[in-house]
Amino acid sequence: MRFFEHQDEARRETLKLLAGFALAVLATVAGVHLALVLLWQLLSWSLGGLAFPAFFFSVNIGVTLLLVLGGWWIETSNLSMPAAAERLARRAGAREARPAQSHAEQRLCNIVVEISIAAQMPPPRAMVLARTAAINAFATGWTEDDAVVAVTQGALELLTREELQGMVAHECSHIHEGDTHLNMQLSGMVCGLELVHHFGIMLCERGGLAALAGWPVRLMGSFGWLAGRVLQAAISRQREYLADARTVQWTRSRDGLGGVLRKVLTEQHAARRQHGARPPPLHPALHHLLLVSDGGRGSHWFDAHPPLAERVRRIYGRAMEPLPLEPVASGPEPADRARPPPAVEGPYTLV
Amino acid sequence: MTLTGWVIVAVLCVALLWAVMVYNGLVQSRNRIANAFGQIDVQLKRRHDLVPNLVEVAKRYLAHEAATLEAVVRARGAAQGAASSAREHPTSAAAIGALTVAEQALVGSLGRLMAVAEAYPDLQADATMQSLSEELTSTENRIGFARQAYNDQVLHFNDAASRFPDLLVARLGGFAPAAMLQSTQSAEERKAPKVVF
Repeated sequence: MRFFEHQDEARRETLKLLAGFALAVLATVAGVHLALVLLWQLLSWSLGGLAFPAFFFSVNIGVTLLLVLGGWWIETSNLSMPAAAERLARRAGAREARPAQSHAEQRLCNIVVEISIAAQMPPPRAMVLARTAAINAFATGWTEDDAVVAVTQGALELLTREELQGMVAHECSHIHEGDTHLNMQLSGMVCGLELVHHFGIMLCERGGLAALAGWPVRLMGSFGWLAGRVLQAAISRQREYLADARTVQWTRSRDGLGGVLRKVLTEQHAARRQHGARPPPLHPALHHLLLVSDGGRGSHWFDAHPPLAERVRRIYGRAMEPLPLEPVASGPEPADRARPPPAVEGPYTLV
Repeated sequence: MTLTGWVIVAVLCVALLWAVMVYNGLVQSRNRIANAFGQIDVQLKRRHDLVPNLVEVAKRYLAHEAATLEAVVRARGAAQGAASSAREHPTSAAAIGALTVAEQALVGSLGRLMAVAEAYPDLQADATMQSLSEELTSTENRIGFARQAYNDQVLHFNDAASRFPDLLVARLGGFAPAAMLQSTQSAEERKAPKVVF
């Protein structure tokens, strides 16, 4: 288990990609200006000797920056309100876990506290997506104090205690490392770049000279938007590797999260055999925060998650077979009796 | 002042700023170790608080196993006493040693109770018992994770304090390397740990 090396590598890659993202934003701003300069040069060449208008540079750069930063501000401002995490989770169909009413949810709440001790962070709120049968989970939160970990009903029913621990640890890593925060900032920036593109389209629709100026803005905006989305997805993939390595560090177990991913592999094979398509996904704002994404749709350049097989390979150091899906009994005891306790359990077998 | 003078002042300021940052980082890291140690204590108390409830439920089904139940209650009382004296003298090796022995005895007696309970399906089917035994599993995990977090934090601190040039600040500030708890990596080591709190 080389989890510390894996973590360092993921952090280094993230930094490189973040620098790339910053460059992409700057390049978009500079690109808009340069394209307009080129256009003006062409005009002045064909019409003969036109000087640059006053404040040409400042207006180009200023308007583009205003669009990018304005888009980013609009996207992120409503997320920093108190209890934003819980509201987002509720919008996705999650409800508070009820430890007093169900053994499975009592176990979930306990596991969340256990992992928060291992991670030395305040425990996030435990929530349940009671209507989702697929194994999945998501974490969201602007800060460590306002954070939610939500787990699907399928995960509660199909995962052992150790596996659920791995799943919760993965989500807690996203909160602990500030991934949800980072991702929302990046989403805001991508939205800002998109705004540049849309501003270009708007100018084009005006017609006349505005349309002429609109084309370069539109073109550069779409380049920036595309680059932003690709880089955002690449950063997200590195954060997934980081969270996987963190999970192994906190649970000191490969079979926990490894088991979850291998069961999800089985689930995805079955779903592909049956429908050829995936079940309806969760709320779109949560795509980057899930344990596993739908996959299969579009090119892997835009995937927020690395391929499952590759994640399993990194956790175990070699490729592993998918695991069969069998329901774990609702009470924790029969499950514990059927299996020898894993290494992370207490020193003796319980009842 | 000459240019050289200004350069020297600037370099000194930067060096001082760096030293302050390193010092504060080390203090923060050391405080986290203390916090992680506190977590272990909190979880031990949780274990002690669970025992009476567990015994109360088990009593209803295990009328013929009074000796086992009494052993658990006695071990719990001894562990509680040892924990409170360890809390009063946290630096005393003798108090920590006594706590270690008492906790080991408690874990052993709980293990025997659970083994006995295996033979009573009614007890295992009891909803309260199921819930309590989940709590006990969780408590054992929490103790394990708290020890692990403590060790991870000690590793982080010792790394930071022995890295050059931060080492200089650590030496001047009197940051001694912290000691790790014994390994909790495998089930065998967990069964007979040298330091169990």
